[in-house]
Amino acid sequence: MISSDVIRGYNDTLILYMLLEGESYGYEISKNIRQLTEEKYVMKETTLYSAFTRLEKNGYIESFYLDENSLGKRRTYYRITLPGLDYYREKCEEWKVTQEVVNLFIREL
Amino acid sequence: METIMVYLENMFAGLPKTPEVEHLKQELLSGMEDKYLELKREGKSENEAIGIVISEFGNIEELTAELGIQPVSAEEAVPVLTEEEAYAYTTAKRNAGFWIGLGVLLCASGVAFLIFMDTLFENYATSAANRSVETGAVLGLIGMFVLIAIAVGMFIHSGMKLERFSHMEKGFQLPYTLKMSIQHSRESFALTYRIAIITGVCLCILSPVFIFAASSINDNYASYGVSAFMVMAGVGAFLFVYYGNIQGAYTNLLEKHQLTVEKKQEVKIVRAVEAIVWPLATAIFLFTGFVYQRWDINWAIFPITGILSGSFSNVYHIMKSKNPS
Repeated sequence: MISSDVIRGYNDTLILYMLLEGESYGYEISKNIRQLTEEKYVMKETTLYSAFTRLEKNGYIESFYLDENSLGKRRTYYRITLPGLDYYREKCEEWKVTQEVVNLFIREL
Repeated sequence: METIMVYLENMFAGLPKTPEVEHLKQELLSGMEDKYLELKREGKSENEAIGIVISEFGNIEELTAELGIQPVSAEEAVPVLTEEEAYAYTTAKRNAGFWIGLGVLLCASGVAFLIFMDTLFENYATSAANRSVETGAVLGLIGMFVLIAIAVGMFIHSGMKLERFSHMEKGFQLPYTLKMSIQHSRESFALTYRIAIITGVCLCILSPVFIFAASSINDNYASYGVSAFMVMAGVGAFLFVYYGNIQGAYTNLLEKHQLTVEKKQEVKIVRAVEAIVWPLATAIFLFTGFVYQRWDINWAIFPITGILSGSFSNVYHIMKSKNPS
């Protein structure tokens, strides 16, 4: 399991990626991240919800309520916005450069 | 699931209760509940599920930083009262009540002494020289002032003793066990308090009986009755002040943790009015007594003053709470 410090700058990117496929809600997003990373990265609850708050404030995602038929529970769903897509692309570019830079300093010993 | 809710409540305890924070708390709870239910479905035990959910909660500072709010800092938070402090406070209040009560009794006794000496010398001086009439008044005055001086000393002493606890007015927290223990003390004191107050009221109501009794024997003796009346009412006042202070200590500890500014102002004004009204009443009482010799009825000024100052404080309180400006 990797430390949350390393990945901090990319939590938003992870969440946006999950929303590229379609709208989703908090637990589903964190569960999918866990599965996709084969449990190498588990996003903490507070990390997830502070990211939602931040992304929504910046207009990168929007939230809406949806009633679950089976449980009758009202959930907050999120979907990515157009500025959110732009931001996601930006972060992907940034990561590529970051990766190149850091790779310069990585070698097998 | 309840454990998780309690955990979340605790995590949010130090945060301001804004709609934004409440909403976020609900979102977190919903997410944690989803996770908990799924873990249970996967066959995890209750304890395991709770353990995983809590271990994956994260750090509350992350949220507060995002929201731009500061958790209530340790400096702003009200101090927690220790057991020693609480008991030192009740003891100090009890002692202060004793000395103030005794001071009130001494003041009443001083007035009683003056009336007594004056009447004594007057009654015996009818045949003797005029000089001894004055001697009685002078002796009475000296005695009264000595007693009042001692009483003032007691008031100052107890006021300074209580000064040490003035920081408590800024508010404090009581640990749960201490609160329970103080509540228990108050309950066991309740009967004593009730008996003391009833006795005090009875003494005050019955005290004019002395005046009627004395004046029925001889009109000249009416003022002896007034002396006895003053002392008995003084004993009643002592009971009010002493037991009232003990009860007040419990009330302060358990109920009003923080005096609002308005409440403080109200207490101040009521006290200021009382500080003027009571000495004034005493002055009128002594004047009408010595000049007009109406000891048989002028004692009524004290109950009247009592009722008036009591109603003033109530009326003021009602007016204040009606316009909270």
